Amino acid sequence: MGKYSEDPLWADIEPLPTDEGGPNPLAAIAYSEEYEETMSYMRAVMAANEYSDRVLELTEDLIDMNPAHYTVWLYRAKTLFHLDKDLREELEWLNETALEHQKNYQIWHHRNLIVDRLDDCEGETEFVEQMFVKDAKNYHVWSYRQWLVKRFGLWETEELEFTERMLREDVRNNSAWNHRWYIVNGREAEGVKGEWDEGLRKRELDFAKNAVGKTPQNQSPWNYLRAIVRTAGVPLASLKEFAEQYASLDRPDSVRSSFALDLLADIFAEEEGGKDKAGKALDLLAAKYDPIRKNYWAYRKSQLGLESSTPEAVVAA
Amino acid sequence: MAITDSAADDTLDELLRNKARIIELPDDNNEDEVTGVPFPGNHLRKNGIHHLPQWLQQTTIGLFHDDYNTVSSEALDKTAAECLPHLTGQDNQGIPLNRHGLPHLQRKQHASFLHTPLKGLPAPYAAMDASRPWLFYWCTAGLSFLREDVSMYRERLMETVRPLQNKIGGFGGGHGQLSHCACTYATLLALATVGGLDVIDREAMWHWLGTVKQADGGFRMAIGAEEDIRGAYCAMTAITLLNLPLELPPDSPTREAGLTHFTDRLGEWISTCQSYEGGISSAPNHEVHGAYAFCALACLCILGPPHITIPKYLDVDRLIRCLTTLQTNPEGGFAGRTNKLVDACYSHWVGGCWALLEAAVVGPHEAKQNGSVSSAESRLWNREALVRYLLTCCQQPGPKGGMRDKPSARPDGYHTCYSLSGLSAAQNQYTYNTTASTTDRETGRLLSAFNWKGERASEGDMKGLSVERNDVVELVHPVFVIRFEAVEEARRKFARGGFPVVEGTD
Ligand SMILES: [Zn+2]
Repeated sequence: MGKYSEDPLWADIEPLPTDEGGPNPLAAIAYSEEYEETMSYMRAVMAANEYSDRVLELTEDLIDMNPAHYTVWLYRAKTLFHLDKDLREELEWLNETALEHQKNYQIWHHRNLIVDRLDDCEGETEFVEQMFVKDAKNYHVWSYRQWLVKRFGLWETEELEFTERMLREDVRNNSAWNHRWYIVNGREAEGVKGEWDEGLRKRELDFAKNAVGKTPQNQSPWNYLRAIVRTAGVPLASLKEFAEQYASLDRPDSVRSSFALDLLADIFAEEEGGKDKAGKALDLLAAKYDPIRKNYWAYRKSQLGLESSTPEAVVAA
Repeated sequence: MAITDSAADDTLDELLRNKARIIELPDDNNEDEVTGVPFPGNHLRKNGIHHLPQWLQQTTIGLFHDDYNTVSSEALDKTAAECLPHLTGQDNQGIPLNRHGLPHLQRKQHASFLHTPLKGLPAPYAAMDASRPWLFYWCTAGLSFLREDVSMYRERLMETVRPLQNKIGGFGGGHGQLSHCACTYATLLALATVGGLDVIDREAMWHWLGTVKQADGGFRMAIGAEEDIRGAYCAMTAITLLNLPLELPPDSPTREAGLTHFTDRLGEWISTCQSYEGGISSAPNHEVHGAYAFCALACLCILGPPHITIPKYLDVDRLIRCLTTLQTNPEGGFAGRTNKLVDACYSHWVGGCWALLEAAVVGPHEAKQNGSVSSAESRLWNREALVRYLLTCCQQPGPKGGMRDKPSARPDGYHTCYSLSGLSAAQNQYTYNTTASTTDRETGRLLSAFNWKGERASEGDMKGLSVERNDVVELVHPVFVIRFEAVEEARRKFARGGFPVVEGTD
């Protein structure tokens, strides 16, 4: 006897118990009676295509017990829309649930469906930022934030400052860098210039260079810099002077960033007669500054048509 | 991980950590310790430091330290500190060493660890009620990577998954759950592993896949669910292994958008997932993530030969650069994202990319010489470092075995399976045969994914990787991530294509 079987409200439903397929199922879960009963009623209402208030309660119960239950989430959304429910109320319930199960993917997809239908994102960016206090790199939350920006056209509002805030907190947070890239460049399909705009480009270059200044061995801003010049069609060599502040073949003992050396190798390779210098930079990476990737650096040399050299030779030279 | 129904790796890791791992808690610690046995190789420990590879030497580890601490750098430093004693041989956790001084692969223990969940799970595993097919796959496939016989699970698995298969086609996470690409993929691979493919209703599967194909070329994970790159890889795996028609079923809603085939706009859609950093994200504009790189590359390797489809749709140089940097220093394993932590499951998700990429870059040149694209010559990555990470840091010591994300984590089926397939990627050689045909003339089946050959680690390879024969994992198919024999059986079984008038029942 359980919560549902004893409830007259559910008397008309014939529950569908779990079909385990046979007498010896593999990896069978010893469900609690409560879970088993609730799922049995869930299966029954889904089979009958029932969309009702009591179904909402049922889904709430199940989500409490198993927030990763994608079927129940999708059915709940369908039911809400079918009944034309107050979606603000749904969001309030979701807020509580989200705090408990932040890493759960389904919850964010559900939120996305609700807010899309509401056609109003009031309070959403603030809520999301709150979520980042616990985990500033949550993939689903960042994806949701991107969707908000696009769906509600939040490009010009406070998104840029938001990424600045996040990066001030942790300049190595690659998710925040990715979001910044999206804010700046996400509208090129709509004809809004990203890095192609000179003023904007300068702002972004300065921002990334500043981050390198604080943390030279931080890959995120280096990736960002490379992407800016590539996207804008500016020669890679425009970063040469900057990269040389962190790595120089003239001072092979005081390289401050392997990413700077890697970038220099690419810059040299594009210069007339620069292949040998590129090779030297790559040798330095393989022999001293990034030996775990020695095969990759050798591969890069081979792409330039250069022979690979032994580490001993590099160190001696 | 990455392609469970619960999206990115973190989710599943979290899930396992919080609830489902309860069963794996050791009930007492004493039984776990194997001590004092004079295994050959133990003597190496004393002077082991001198033999450390260069990336583990103090001079390398000490490079580039700045005082600008953030949440990220603190987490990175903490992880390095927890791994170093294992990596350098100071702490072998009592695991017997091989003659090169690395811990042996604890085959028996890991096998028993993978058999355990199949026997049944306690109530807290209800948290995995929507991803149980993954347990079937991780456990059976992981066992097969250890050369364990799993055929005894055939009948039981076929019975177990029958209620998971929906009339409209595809498999859900459990009885009465919606069909889902990830659940379908995991069930299919588990069935292929034990030889139970007959239970699948191929025609219904074909119809259902037609409902998740999208007009932009990608696939949704389920009807009404998210569209991402896992969907594309999972769906194309099912279509190819089961030899379903490439034509969209007549009732597919995408036909209205002018699409006629499952492959329409698919390569182009995958292109849009390559981000500004060069890596691949779950869907356009999202952050680069190692797991999605594997899904993209494997999907392209289903569409055609690696040296043709990969460069056609992706900027290979930028992708390689991005994935290379995910191999972490000093641990030697892979992280899933830039500035994040090493985690054993990426040994597969990123480690599994290299065979595909190496075949893509060596392809055309080598093909002229002998018709096969080998990954032996071109070695883009550090296999030795990955092997060391997995053997020293990721094996749970003691009789219960299992493999884990990192030393401070508990073992689970997911990390055990993907650590083993990552080991296989590092230890063995995989070759693409460029002269084999890429499409079956009669049925239209895409054949490229069947043109891979695996070659076990040679004596020289083993020496280079500091392993012995019994530390080497079986050959794992680089596209479908099950044993080659299982792939071959699926290829032969459905070679004739079409749908039977009456579905066979045995
Ligand atoms: Zn993991």
